[in-house]
Amino acid sequence: MPVKVAMVSLASCWGCYQSLLDNHEALLDILPELDILFWHVVTDFKYKDLEGYKDGSIDVGIVEGVCRTEEDVHILKTLRKKCKTLISLGSCSTYGGIYGLLNLSTMDEALKRKFTEAESLEEPSIPDEDVPKMLDFLIPNRKIVNFEIFLPGCPVTSQNIKDALVGLLKGELPPPPNRTLCDECPREKSEVITIKQLKRDYEGIPDPKKCLLEQGYICMGPATREGCGALCTKAGMPCRGCYGPGPNVIDQGAKMISALGSIVDYEAISPEELVEKVGDVAGTFYNFFLPSGIVSKTVRKAK
Amino acid sequence: MSASSAMLRRFVYTAQNWCSYAGADMAGTSRMQYPPNARFIRVMCSSRVDPQFVLKAFELGADGVLIAGCHHGDCHYVTGNYRAEERIRLLEKLIEQLGIEPERLRLEWISASEGNVLVEVMNDFVKKLKELGPSPLRKDKE
Repeated sequence: MPVKVAMVSLASCWGCYQSLLDNHEALLDILPELDILFWHVVTDFKYKDLEGYKDGSIDVGIVEGVCRTEEDVHILKTLRKKCKTLISLGSCSTYGGIYGLLNLSTMDEALKRKFTEAESLEEPSIPDEDVPKMLDFLIPNRKIVNFEIFLPGCPVTSQNIKDALVGLLKGELPPPPNRTLCDECPREKSEVITIKQLKRDYEGIPDPKKCLLEQGYICMGPATREGCGALCTKAGMPCRGCYGPGPNVIDQGAKMISALGSIVDYEAISPEELVEKVGDVAGTFYNFFLPSGIVSKTVRKAK
Repeated sequence: MSASSAMLRRFVYTAQNWCSYAGADMAGTSRMQYPPNARFIRVMCSSRVDPQFVLKAFELGADGVLIAGCHHGDCHYVTGNYRAEERIRLLEKLIEQLGIEPERLRLEWISASEGNVLVEVMNDFVKKLKELGPSPLRKDKE
């Protein structure tokens, strides 16, 4: 009997479902085993279709994106009720994702910037008709409902999704990764890494074989869990940390600050220079993780 | 609880084992008076203070976090206090972005013989924190 699946998108770019489709021919083996009951990204389902199913009658629910409005929260809670197993697909659903950086502003500031101050606007006005109420701040989905499986990544790789789906169908999931990105990154690393000069991504051309951190690029590898196959660092792009913190770490950004403090050569780079060179500390170290961090949102009062 | 001490209920003082904690001992045995608002946490080195600890202290409602270590060059572990400084400066910038005043996080170098410096720093820090008012993350703001 095919496995019943429902897939929803909350606030997201739909890139993780794109990544699912990027499995191409591999989908031919999986699709006959699935009975897709709800997937409003690809065809015209209505929310009442999902609400109409009996509680617990769907085998697997997949959630992409983070809750931005009260409607999102309602859909997430509904899906949880209907599904036996819930999968969190992508960094947005697992940690808050890139949307999480909105937590650096208050809702009023964000709305004002988007609808009244943006350069491309002709008639600035904040929409208030027929729109669901916005949440004041983003909270990670796991604080709203329980999940059985987390698949972080921005986007989560096609291979990860395939492994999880095939594993679920067979009844044996692959073991969760237990190391950091540096462990699976093929670049050559010295025993002791020392940074003598910090570089931004656009400065110079990185040596294709040596560790990016050693060359002075801020790579989130030491504070990020493995699983992606070091896609970015293999291509010469420093890791931005989309897979979230490594094992036994609560706060990814704080851990990266800790790591950077350990490897920066304090004689070559003074603390003030370090802060200046990093610039946007929250944006660099909490690119995908802010709503799940220990201090998860700005406490600034709205002006 | 008097009005002033209620306003500033606590801050966290993280002292490192070899100098600053001994400095606090020195202040105590010399019977110097310092404000009662601090919760002391002894660690082996100022670089042992994981940035997660500092964020957690703020999240739990601490009005300020004071981290004390050995003077530069005095580190028992050679470079620990340099490491700590790099981290704390980055953290200051981070908490500023999160809306917490960066003055609430302070790093000081206090040696084992500087009980008086400890008292001065504590008095000054408490004064500054009272001017700033309760932390925006405090859940009980009476």
